[in-house]
Amino acid sequence: MVVGDFDPDESEQTHSNKPAPPSTLKPDVDKIVNDPFVSIHKSTEPEANNPPKAVRSASPSDSAKLMRERSIRTNRRLRFIECLRKDDINIAELRKLAWAGTPSTLRPVVWPLLLGYLPLAAPARSATLTRKREEYRSLVELAFKKERQGLDQQIWHQIEIDVPRTRPGTRLWMQEHTQRSLERILYVWAIRHPASGYVQGINDLVTPFFQVFLSAYIDSDPEQFDAALLPENVRDAVEADSFWCLSRLLDGIQDNYIATQPGIQRSVKRMAELVARIDAPLYAHLESESVEFMQFAFRWMNCLLMREISVQNTIRMWDTYLAEGTDAFSQFHLYVCSAFLVKWSEKLRKMDFQGIIMFLQSPPTQDWDDHEIEMLLSEAFVLNSIWHNAQSHFGAK
Amino acid sequence: MAEGSNYDYLFKVVLIGDSGVGKSNLLSRFTRNEFNLDSKSTIGVEFATRTINVDGKTVKAQIWDTAGQERYRAITSAYYRGAVGALLVYDIAKHATYANVTRWLKELRDHADANIVIMLVGNKSDLKHLRAVPTEEAKTFATENELSFIETSALDASNVESAFQTILTDIYRIVSSKTLEQSSDPIKAPTSDTIPVAIDSAAPASGSKCC
Repeated sequence: MVVGDFDPDESEQTHSNKPAPPSTLKPDVDKIVNDPFVSIHKSTEPEANNPPKAVRSASPSDSAKLMRERSIRTNRRLRFIECLRKDDINIAELRKLAWAGTPSTLRPVVWPLLLGYLPLAAPARSATLTRKREEYRSLVELAFKKERQGLDQQIWHQIEIDVPRTRPGTRLWMQEHTQRSLERILYVWAIRHPASGYVQGINDLVTPFFQVFLSAYIDSDPEQFDAALLPENVRDAVEADSFWCLSRLLDGIQDNYIATQPGIQRSVKRMAELVARIDAPLYAHLESESVEFMQFAFRWMNCLLMREISVQNTIRMWDTYLAEGTDAFSQFHLYVCSAFLVKWSEKLRKMDFQGIIMFLQSPPTQDWDDHEIEMLLSEAFVLNSIWHNAQSHFGAK
Repeated sequence: MAEGSNYDYLFKVVLIGDSGVGKSNLLSRFTRNEFNLDSKSTIGVEFATRTINVDGKTVKAQIWDTAGQERYRAITSAYYRGAVGALLVYDIAKHATYANVTRWLKELRDHADANIVIMLVGNKSDLKHLRAVPTEEAKTFATENELSFIETSALDASNVESAFQTILTDIYRIVSSKTLEQSSDPIKAPTSDTIPVAIDSAAPASGSKCC
């Protein structure tokens, strides 16, 4: 029997002794709060201040490739900016661009546009933002006006337990300010949606929004940001925008979180049917080992794969999901999950019940970057176009 | 995962109890000797195994760790079927989690096999200064309800090994004596010296319930 030792590398990852990297706030945050498009109207030159981590130390032979990649990125960015600068944004064009990935500095405006939170027509934007943030503030006031005793105890209790264990070990999420924001977002959402209330895992879904919106105001890594540095109006804006965008995302998948979670049951069932068609040997092997899809895919649906891949991976994935429309979080997602499973087919077919479950519980995605996610999305796209309109095939055993 | 596939007995055990009482840490302490102060919440069900020795026999425990939140009950209760043991965990520092033990017992009565072996586990015994559930009270409750009882700390590892060892031994004693008694039972008739207890029956059963 093997008794696991403590892996020194692993513990260092979560509790690093290294000093936290500096947190830098942008100089013009007050302008950005009122008009998130400020940077887009301003910038003509490609992003210079946000070097991707891959550029760190390239050997000379890599530099040509890097140059090429950079110029592709620059071009894409310019096309985005051109699209976003129009007074009335063409949503179809924006969706098309965003499907292939949104530059990180543009996400804070592209995501809300795709979700319909930010109006496509430029003149309406500032007023809408002000109104929605004001509305959120009154929702919070209403929800918390009677102090603790006035809260729905069951919902509050679960949120209180889960907030400190959201993204454990990540600086941003271990801070008081961020945790209070998360608590408010989750609680207000839960009491406005009594059919589901708060369900564990929804906390995970807030984090990509929060980090993306925060990134609009800072020049350093959101995950390492010292939230105490945020001016109150900025924090309120990030929180309110996260709340509304989360709400829109969840509108499309509320079935996942109501009693007996029928949305998940349906997705898992359809995923099993799909895998039976696209990878019959794997399906047969899982069946012969008595592995049920529910045993591993439940979590994939419930947390949208966020427990299996990094937040960075998730953010890239959501560029595409949001470009597809909020339906993607239930429909397209099941094709992504199927592609994700089939990806390991060869390995899985050599494993027994225990091996399969253990493997799928923590698949080896630690080193994944955008490239792997984009492969997965393309495979899902192909599956989707082949099978989505062929649903009569499903279940016709 | 590196454990061999040779074992004499395979027992399916579930970990149940309120959210945040430390079920996942009990499991990781037992199977990997790890403890994580801020571990993420369990979504649905998670799985781990460990093989131990009982009376000279190799016993493999397949342990299903369940999410504590009520909403997941429909999913998690499917895993009760075929389980031969249950660790019903509460937090000694949070009385509400102990008060809910009755509800969890009812869950087991409704969904698990009638002769499932249940152990009541008061976890977080390291939090002495915050104790809200007296040991004697829980012990009495356990006796009245014919449960075994132990207090553990996944954090400082005390009694974790012992909790699992005890329940697996109890199960082993029951199962091995039953095998002798009921050797005429066509379903349980031992064909070899390996007796996989109820694992195979558990999996398909929940699948058919899925809609």
